[in-house]
Amino acid sequence: MNLDEKFVKGRGQFVGDISLPNTLYLNFVRSNYARARIVKVYGGITHKDVALKVSSVGEGGEGGFGSIAHPVLASNFVAYVGQPIAAVYAEDPYTSEDLIDSVQVDYEPLKAVVDPEKAIDFEPIHPGLKSNVVVDRYFGNDFEIDADIVVEDRFVNNRIATDPIEPRGIVCNYDGKRLTVWTSTQSVFSIRGGLSEVLGIPESDIHVIQTDTGGAFGLKGGMYPEYIVASYLAMKERRPVKWIETRREHLMASRPGRGVIGKIKLFADRKGYIQGLKGDVIVDNGAYSGGSGEFSSMFVARQLAGVYKIERAYVRARAVLTDKVPQGPYRGAGRPEAMFFIERIIDRLADELNMDPLALRLKNATTENYKSPLGYQIEPSRNFIEKAGEVLEYQKYYPRGNCGFSVGILYHATSGGESARIRVKDGKVTFWLGGNAHGQRHDVWGKMLIQEELGVDQSIIEFMNGDSDALESGIGTWGSRSAMVGGSALVMAARKLKKKVEEANGEYSTTALLSGEWDEYEYFDYDKTESSLCANLVTVNISDLPKIRVEKCRAYYDAGRVLDPVYAAGQNAGGSAEGIGQVLTESLSFNDEGQPLIASIADAGVLTADLLPRFEVKFYKSESTLPSRAKGIGEAPTIGVPTALSRAIERATGLRIRETPLSMEYLMKAIKN
Amino acid sequence: MKMEKHRVSINVNGKDYSEEIEPRTLLVTFLRDIAGLTGTHIGCDTSNCGACTVIMNGRAVKSCTVLAVQANGSNVLTIEGLSKDGDKLHPIQKAFIEKKGYQCGYCTSGMILTALALLNRKRNLTEDEIREALSGNLCRCTGYDSIIDSIMLADSEMAKTEKEEEIFVEA
Ligand code: FES
Ligand code: FES
Repeated sequence: MNLDEKFVKGRGQFVGDISLPNTLYLNFVRSNYARARIVKVYGGITHKDVALKVSSVGEGGEGGFGSIAHPVLASNFVAYVGQPIAAVYAEDPYTSEDLIDSVQVDYEPLKAVVDPEKAIDFEPIHPGLKSNVVVDRYFGNDFEIDADIVVEDRFVNNRIATDPIEPRGIVCNYDGKRLTVWTSTQSVFSIRGGLSEVLGIPESDIHVIQTDTGGAFGLKGGMYPEYIVASYLAMKERRPVKWIETRREHLMASRPGRGVIGKIKLFADRKGYIQGLKGDVIVDNGAYSGGSGEFSSMFVARQLAGVYKIERAYVRARAVLTDKVPQGPYRGAGRPEAMFFIERIIDRLADELNMDPLALRLKNATTENYKSPLGYQIEPSRNFIEKAGEVLEYQKYYPRGNCGFSVGILYHATSGGESARIRVKDGKVTFWLGGNAHGQRHDVWGKMLIQEELGVDQSIIEFMNGDSDALESGIGTWGSRSAMVGGSALVMAARKLKKKVEEANGEYSTTALLSGEWDEYEYFDYDKTESSLCANLVTVNISDLPKIRVEKCRAYYDAGRVLDPVYAAGQNAGGSAEGIGQVLTESLSFNDEGQPLIASIADAGVLTADLLPRFEVKFYKSESTLPSRAKGIGEAPTIGVPTALSRAIERATGLRIRETPLSMEYLMKAIKN
Repeated sequence: MKMEKHRVSINVNGKDYSEEIEPRTLLVTFLRDIAGLTGTHIGCDTSNCGACTVIMNGRAVKSCTVLAVQANGSNVLTIEGLSKDGDKLHPIQKAFIEKKGYQCGYCTSGMILTALALLNRKRNLTEDEIREALSGNLCRCTGYDSIIDSIMLADSEMAKTEKEEEIFVEA
């Protein structure tokens, strides 16, 4: 059944839908304390049974274990509320749930540290560490300058939950030789690699199958403790084991995104030329490695010049341990944070200079490729910004005083390349991709590319979910990479196939292709990080404060060759809604003891249809140099919308917006004024 | 904590399912685990997401908020009942395909059944009315635009075909 029919008929196969005979249902006993010594655990599977650590694989993962690796089950110490301590299982889900209460844990609570800035000088949260600062790096070169104008500020993007509507989950089975794993994932290869590394069994003995995946947004790219326990138990009991995360668990124990503080200082002359930038980026890493805190601290720092030619730049990047669930990637994963910090301070500088912010941006944009002292290549941005101003109708909307505008750069995670396979058999074409779709509709653009290359009708092409046995290797779907490197792998596989048909038949024809049997695997090797530019314009209505309504939410993106304009618009709409959520409602806050204050997806602030506007998007005409000619788009809206929206609110209310989400108390100030 | 079991019979998509169950069993669990109809999804534990929406005795309900024992004797329509495999798709299903009303597909069943209940109640809907009616259903992927377009298309398509044939599915 094709994808469309499947989902509208309720015939998807999500991980929760898999039920094997004889299944054991797994549940976890989780820490009630943000920091405590564990005196004793009575009952359940514990650290004594599974004395393993979680490997750092997937998006932003460095591989291996490192000094602050996450124990699969806590041994004598817990470092965040929700950390798995013990596991229980039973023949049915309700009994399994009941068993959670049968396990008793004696704790000796310790003082937790929640605020990353405080954690810098707080005693190390793990024994044997010298400091909670696990990354401390500098990018660029220090400088001194006598500038006409210096503006500085401190911005915060607080943590938010990834909150796909389908939470995490896994089903494992072991036949004595091979471990088979069904899971909701962005990368079957991360899961296979992670399990192999942690359990110490060869990759060839693990088969990972991607079930239909109900959204992920960064959440489902890597390894988690629950997956290891499920695999361990399946191997031990030789029975299928199933674990499905509850939303409550998701909110306390799944890696959330953002959680980044950026202090930034601009030096400029009176005409508005930015002469230098200094910054200090602090990522709230949470309690262990394995997420993306270490990577993202450096990633944010290196992007801090935004799309501008700034000759002097010096940025410190730190990742700091706190007694909270480890931070992970969330749509954008470091890109939105960096653009928030630089774009917000540019607006501030415009105010200081009493200058139009678009004019200020144009003044500092680059007309050629520019290598930022912070490390990244910045593509010519001047033309794009100019065009964006026209297309988004800046001159019409910006003067109205309730409008914000932002530009940004999206660095695609193209490095590492990707794999694809095309098989032709019985007159049908089947294809697989190394990176696994979870809403991006790889099926749609994949079929289109195959049709383009091989001339076969799309109705005989079938797209398969991720399967580690179907391909030799692969990376994953994240970082706006799939249409670029996955698409290119597919194009290259198709071209190879075409050549083979040509060689065998003297010339290529679809009849020759479809009457034969062919199987082509291609790894598209790529080691460059590509980029594209994006811009957003947002207007707000604040007549009903503290309610804020977004009225216009417009986007202008360089998505290269747009493979499917409707689905590309869909990516924009979904990401823009998340960008609005980040500013207005989404939060994952904790009290001073490290207790999460958010217990439902509604509290977490995922927005409903009645609170959102229509989204508009237009595309810049361009093509990438990759075989698919596409550029990524998925993360563009989360990069640009939060900062454009913040500016709109700032102008409408007269309050400086430095932090997402907006706090009610802060907004109330505007009402009083 | 073993509980005394109760016999519960529910008519789902025109078929009777009868089973001895623990009183705490939720309707969504009954549908998924006993009737084996996994098109009804679970997305939360606080009745916020609407992924579990079904039609019970003509009204849209979140099946995670109803105990199976409360649904005893009821008629329930789930996504699987909207079109039997191979059968013609319901106009709402067609519209969701045409307007690309989903990305990951996880919220889709709940969205379609919420739309069905809405369109059974009122026609010629404005965009705001649709947005309002969807306020109990979360989608994390689409930003809702394509879902709203799907429902608007279904609204007009149903008006066209209604005269010719009976397309309402009544539960
Ligand atoms: S599962 Fe029923 S509302 Fe979320
Ligand atoms: S399509 Fe993914 S949650 Fe709606």
